[in-house]
Amino acid sequence: MTSTATRTAAGLTPGRRPASQLALGLLVAAGILGVSCLLSLAVGTKYVPPVDVWNALVDPGNSYADTVIASRIPRTLLGLLVGAALAVAGGIMQGLTRNPLADPGLFGVNTGAAAAIVTAAALGWGGATSVWVALPGAFAAVVVVYLVGSGRGPAMPVRLVLAGVVVSALLTAYIQSVTLSLPAVFDAYRFWVIGSLAGRNPHLIVEVLPFIVVGLVLALALSGSLNALALGDDTALALGAHVGRTRLLGAVATTLLCAAATAAVGPISFVGLAVPHIVRSVTGADHRWLLPYCVVVGPALLLTADIVGRILVSPAELMVGVVTAFIGGPILVLAVRRMRASA
Amino acid sequence: MSATTLRLGGWLSLPVRRRSVVVGGALAAGIVVIALLSLTLGRLGIAPADLMPAILGHSTGPDAIVFEVLRGPRLVVGIAAGAAFGVSGALFQTVTRNPLGSPDVIGLTSGASAGAAAFGLLWTGILPLPVGALVGALAAMALVWLGTGRGFSSPARMLLVGIGVSAMSLAFVQYAITRVGVEQATVLASFLNGSLASRTWGHAALIWVSVVVLLPCALLTTRRLQLMEMGDEQADALGARSAPARSWAVLIAIGLATAAVSVAGPVAFIALTAPQIARRLTRSAGPNLVLSALMGAFLLTLADLLTQQSPFAVQLPVGVLTAVIGGIYLGYLLVAQWKKGTV
Repeated sequence: MTSTATRTAAGLTPGRRPASQLALGLLVAAGILGVSCLLSLAVGTKYVPPVDVWNALVDPGNSYADTVIASRIPRTLLGLLVGAALAVAGGIMQGLTRNPLADPGLFGVNTGAAAAIVTAAALGWGGATSVWVALPGAFAAVVVVYLVGSGRGPAMPVRLVLAGVVVSALLTAYIQSVTLSLPAVFDAYRFWVIGSLAGRNPHLIVEVLPFIVVGLVLALALSGSLNALALGDDTALALGAHVGRTRLLGAVATTLLCAAATAAVGPISFVGLAVPHIVRSVTGADHRWLLPYCVVVGPALLLTADIVGRILVSPAELMVGVVTAFIGGPILVLAVRRMRASA
Repeated sequence: MSATTLRLGGWLSLPVRRRSVVVGGALAAGIVVIALLSLTLGRLGIAPADLMPAILGHSTGPDAIVFEVLRGPRLVVGIAAGAAFGVSGALFQTVTRNPLGSPDVIGLTSGASAGAAAFGLLWTGILPLPVGALVGALAAMALVWLGTGRGFSSPARMLLVGIGVSAMSLAFVQYAITRVGVEQATVLASFLNGSLASRTWGHAALIWVSVVVLLPCALLTTRRLQLMEMGDEQADALGARSAPARSWAVLIAIGLATAAVSVAGPVAFIALTAPQIARRLTRSAGPNLVLSALMGAFLLTLADLLTQQSPFAVQLPVGVLTAVIGGIYLGYLLVAQWKKGTV
């Protein structure tokens, strides 16, 4: 019983797919991501055939189509970055807390960022959605969660999750009381909170890029330690894993990724929760495969959602945050229905 | 452990512990005090001497209006809705064996929000938001029931499907809030936080009938649920058929939460914290249904009293305050527990 559980947790079940298959799958996923990037540049109020998109990318001219495509490049790049960031953050969070329901927002990252942005808007600072407001807010929230969750002993998953619930609840109450008493802030907040790739300042990409890159590198470097953590703290310690250090670095990576993503496009629900779930059905629980898959599948899902949002109510657009929920929700339900009878 | 057994004929025997009785009595007294305060305090408060006539319906003039229209229904709805949330949360936490289990996690409260938002968006002013909340909650539960592929018997599946339904509902709510004018959006956002303002005796009748019918049903499941805390196999071996028991418990919990949400809006934190606080205060295992009910009623009426009387929070819906109270108390418990080193 125990040995089966630990083997499943480490992804070492006898039924695990061979590495060659997994690598092939990763390539296929990357191909899908490439197609979705191309489509993201092609589809919109003005449709540009993919061949023209390719030509415009290889040899940019001054035609109308080229201008249209250029206007879609920022949101595509943002989609790539944010999708990868959220999916990987979700993967780490689920590994750290050993809870498949964990969502990157669990440690208060999103609410911290939102609270900072609402405060900035209430105080009347311009450019309130900028990274430099959201990041400190997110980090402050996570630090509080970590301090409350750790106490004197090592940070345990259950305590961290509970501390996250506490901090998120208080911050949400704060956000609600500020937005409900200041109509102007509420008016701006209700559009920000939905999460959208459209109409963002291209400058944002450069601002959030370093945070997301550092976060991704840190995450991929941690993937082996996360596997050890999945065995339980005691076993992981016995195997020589640095449990506390892994958890701390994992929290840092998640915070970097989530805060940067939220600062760039607003809180986008569900990508961080659903993508690791979808990926796990292919890769099993081995983080060394799970996280790279997340890097590829996350943006593919986000960009597809963005494209769907442009088609559905054309010529208007549906915000990507709405679409991810309505794509991710049914996918999750399907995944649940395919679960083995034991679950 | 000082426990006596309460027997009612041959079919009901409940062990009653002294500590639970003391805590329960204190909570009941607390609710009475809050009720008196909420009727007598403030500019419109009924003078203590005139209170009895007003309650018995003998008074005329302002006192009658204050009791019959302004504060009476609100208080009565608050007590029953709080109790319903508390019991519902206790059942969910026991059934899912997850301390974070609550009607929120399986998408009930977000479904209710989406229903209210849809009614606010589509049929402005024709049908009241509470009807929308009722329809939304039921629709969300129907989706969860269909989505799991096996009804309400598998908690793990319900949680996952619930997250999907919840994400879709909340995305719809946020979308709806961006589609209406600021004024209407503020009203909607206020209801979506959970509010007891301007309730009627009709609401009170609905929620009290639900509680009076469903609470005894919930109590009948208690013994089986206690056995199920040892795991399904053990419980089955001891004669508690766990799968049907779980389905019944979930149905009852859904009924209670739906009734509460339709009269009070999605006041989220009560269902999560009331059972936890009750369990920690009494230091006993099992679902603690009666104490969870009392604790829920106590928390909700206390929060509502504070929203009515606080000079700072006059405009705020009670849901904001319950989040603060629940959050602070959970945080306090967490810190207290790690000081003792028990979590």
